[in-house]
Order: sequence, then structure tokens, then C-alpha cells
Amino acid sequence: MPIFEKSSESSVTRAIISQFAKDMDGFADTDVIIIGGGPSGLMAARDLALKKVRVLVVERNNYLGGGFWIGGFLMNTITVRAPAQKILDELGVKYKMYEKGLYMTPGPLACSKLISAACEAGVSILNMTSFDDIILREKNRVAGAVINWTPVGALPRQITCVDPVALESKLVIDATGHDAMVVKKLEERGLIKTQGFGAMWIEKSEDAVVEHSGFCHPGLIVTGMAVSTTYGLPRMGPTFGSMLLSGRRGADVAYKHLKGKK
Amino acid sequence: MSHTSTSRARSRVLRSIELFRPENRELRNLSSVRSYLGSLFPSVKVQLRPPIAETLDGDLLDSLASSLASARVKDPTMPRQKFEPMYGEIDYERRVLDGEARAGGLVYDGRALEDVFSRLLKPSTDQALIVITDRLISTFSTDDVRHHLRTVVCGFPNIVSVPGIVEAPARPREYYLMRQELEVQGAGQLRLEQLKRSFKDRFMDYGDSRTIEVVKGLALQAVFFHFTLDPFCGNRDCRFFNAHWQEDLIRSQIESGGLCKRHARAIKALGARPELEW
Repeated sequence: MPIFEKSSESSVTRAIISQFAKDMDGFADTDVIIIGGGPSGLMAARDLALKKVRVLVVERNNYLGGGFWIGGFLMNTITVRAPAQKILDELGVKYKMYEKGLYMTPGPLACSKLISAACEAGVSILNMTSFDDIILREKNRVAGAVINWTPVGALPRQITCVDPVALESKLVIDATGHDAMVVKKLEERGLIKTQGFGAMWIEKSEDAVVEHSGFCHPGLIVTGMAVSTTYGLPRMGPTFGSMLLSGRRGADVAYKHLKGKK
Repeated sequence: MSHTSTSRARSRVLRSIELFRPENRELRNLSSVRSYLGSLFPSVKVQLRPPIAETLDGDLLDSLASSLASARVKDPTMPRQKFEPMYGEIDYERRVLDGEARAGGLVYDGRALEDVFSRLLKPSTDQALIVITDRLISTFSTDDVRHHLRTVVCGFPNIVSVPGIVEAPARPREYYLMRQELEVQGAGQLRLEQLKRSFKDRFMDYGDSRTIEVVKGLALQAVFFHFTLDPFCGNRDCRFFNAHWQEDLIRSQIESGGLCKRHARAIKALGARPELEW
């Protein structure tokens, strides 16, 4: 007796296409599009989805999690400083206290739990999908993203005449890390001037990244290391606690905006 | 108000020293600083004031937030630059002023901040104004063409930076060498606190109980500047020593905690007769 039930290739194909088409239909007009599926983007996505906000994460790689899989110097123990361990508690990530206020956990455990938490909260994800451009509306408000398959960008131009598609949203969150790709699109149009990294290293720079997470332009929120690039904040090492808290703050700002509180 | 004028010299009595509290709450209790200054200048009224933002509202607060955002140092190798602040920068400054966000991790041009505060406080010679801030402040040096963090920027008003006490004077050389070694090993974050503990007492850290002692010395330096426009001393055991190293800061402000003979005499004389002459 076979292990698996009988099915046909055509049924498998129809299942994939029909679900994907249904998903894309929903993505065409959603509440929040988050560009970048690293720790700050996933954290923001998860918090918003838990509040019943429709969220789509666009990730250019096949895998989610960005740099959260691994710590400094390719060693996969990651550290977070208090109070970020409270987020690990929420995600069900086990960790050890290295010393008072400093906690460590395996990167693969923390990252997989965060991805799982985001998916279970109801976040939609388009992986292997690259951000191409922004949609602008009245007074240059950011109102969505133009996307394309990641492989399209990797092929020779003469065989990649694949036009992108546009997805509308009430808000966009730039969680693309150092590249600040969404903010850079505004800069290309002369609508904003980013500062690049600050040269000085100061202990409180993690705080500054969290505190600056929020709107940088109408319709556009910036979180994670993209905050550093946008505002020229001091360069930091791998500080995942601030990425998680930055994502949470971005979600909070977005939620208040959507609910008309601010 | 005592005010004399001759063809050769003019003088004015210092009536009060005004200490403005920082925005964050960690160092709000400045009563020992008030007592210290009061003991040295018994005839001068020393007053603790709320953070500047608490005396403003509405448009003035928005304007202050915008001015503070414009006072940031964006490039430490460039002298004071004028730029249009971004929406998010102004929003952040406003939240700091409202107590919804914490100041930290950014550097502000000390002279630009002096201009901002000066417009609001309107300094005069009979009042020594000292703004205690949670912000890091710097001044540009033409000697090596870069900004340097400062513990105090003397001016009108004077600005004392609480985080500057931690970040401005350099830590012992060995600390930086060992930290670099840790970072190469990939253990910078994990063992940073241990490293700090091994240098305990050799530099000031955030939340250090000795901070208030340093603030006293810097506040006195600011008052002395108000009288003389010359706030520094070359003696490492004098509170007016311009410390570039943490160990010198600790020596001058805490271990010595006093003044050299010349400055002790000067402060005693000013305490008895608090007059500015020019």
C-alpha cells in the first residue's frame, strides 16, 4: 500500500497557481508592505499582523532572516542586551544569560523562531522577489512598491524583458538594512537626502537607531540598519536587540498611523 | 543692580547662577551642585531650573526641535554645516523634548547649541547660565580639522554634557587595544562588560555614581568662565584642568576634587566680591 494519497501533476500545478493567484490578488492592495525580511522587518511584520493589519513582506532572497542567522565574525551565537530578551521570551526563544543584562542564543534558533512567529501571526511573504521602485501619490506620499522576480535581475538584459508589477499599500516600511533601498528611491527623485553612516562609534548608538525608527517621509517608515543609513547615525556592530526593538517601534508607529492616532 | 562705569573699566555683579536640568530623568537631582556653588558664592543666588523644553509649548517647541535637529554634527571632519533637517530628525527631537524618546548616540555642535539656547534664554552678564544636557556635544578644532567631543562648552550659556563625561575624554590606551583584540576575536559584545570591569575606576561609565562630582567641577568651571573667559588650568590636580583622558578627569574632578592654589584664591576672591570686570 503506498504511503501517500494519489494525486496528479495537474492537481499539484493547479493548487500552486490558484493559491498564488489568490495571494497576489490580495497583495495588490494591502495595508503595509515591508521591504526586507531581516530581523527588523520580520519583527514589524509580526507585531502588525498580530493586530490584524494586512502585511506583506517582500524578500529578495529565497531565505528570510537576513543577517539574523549568524553573529559577529561568522560565529552563530547572537547576543542581545536587555530589554530585548523580553522579545526572545515572547517568541519562545531559549537563551542564556552571559552576564547581567547580556543574553546569548544560537542564531538559527532565534531566527527560525522569528520567521515562524511572523508566519503564524498571518504575515504574507513574497520571497525571491526584489523591490524595484516605489509608487508615489499626492504630495509625493509613498503608496506602494513595484516588484519583480529576483532572478530577472540576474539574467542578461536581452532575455529578461519582464516588466515588474505594482502593489499598492497604505504604508511601506524600508527594512532593507544598510542599503536603505526604498529611501534611496526617494533620494534618486530628489525628495530626501540620506546621510550615510556616521563615522563615530558611540555606545548609545543602538538607542539612537531605535528612537529614529519611524516615518522618514509621508507613507514611508524606516526600521533597522536602514535607519542608520538614512540619518547618518553612528555605525554599529551586529546588535540584534536594536533591530528587534526598531522593528517593534516601526510597527507601533505604523499601527498608530493606520488607526488615525497620529 | 550694581553697575559702575568709568572710562577705564566697567563691572557688573553676578546676581544669580541658573542651572537648567537635563531632559532625561537620570540626573535631575542637582541639589548637591547647587549647594556646592552656593557655598563658594554665598551672595549669589543659585537656582535650579526645569529643562528648557518644559518652559515652552506649541510652535516654540516645534521650532526648538527643528533647531536642535539642525545642530547635529553630520560629518566630524567638517566645521559647522548648515542643512535642512529631515522630517524624522525633527520628529525625534520633538519626542525627546516631550520625554517620549531618549537623547543619545548623536553628536551636536556645541557652538550651534549655544546659539539655539542663547536665543531662548537671552543671557546677560549678571546671570551665569548653565544648561546641563543629555546630548553629546563637540567643537571643531582647526588644529587637526575634526570635531572633538566635549564635557563642557563654555559660553553664553554654558553647556555641560552628561554623556560627554563618559565619551569625551579618552579611556586608557590599554582599554582600546584590548577591545580591538576582542573585536578581532569576534567577542566584542560578549566580553565588553568584563573588559570594562577590569578597568573599573579608571574611566567613567554611564550611571556612574561619581558623575555628580564631575558635574560640580564642570559647573564651577562654567561660572569661572563667566567671570574671566578663561576656564582652563594646566595643573592636573585642579578642577579647571582640561582633561583629554579619563584618568586625568577622575584625578582632577574626583581624587583631587579641589582647585590649585591660584584658582582657589581666585574663586575665594570672586566668592567675596562676585563682580565681572571688563
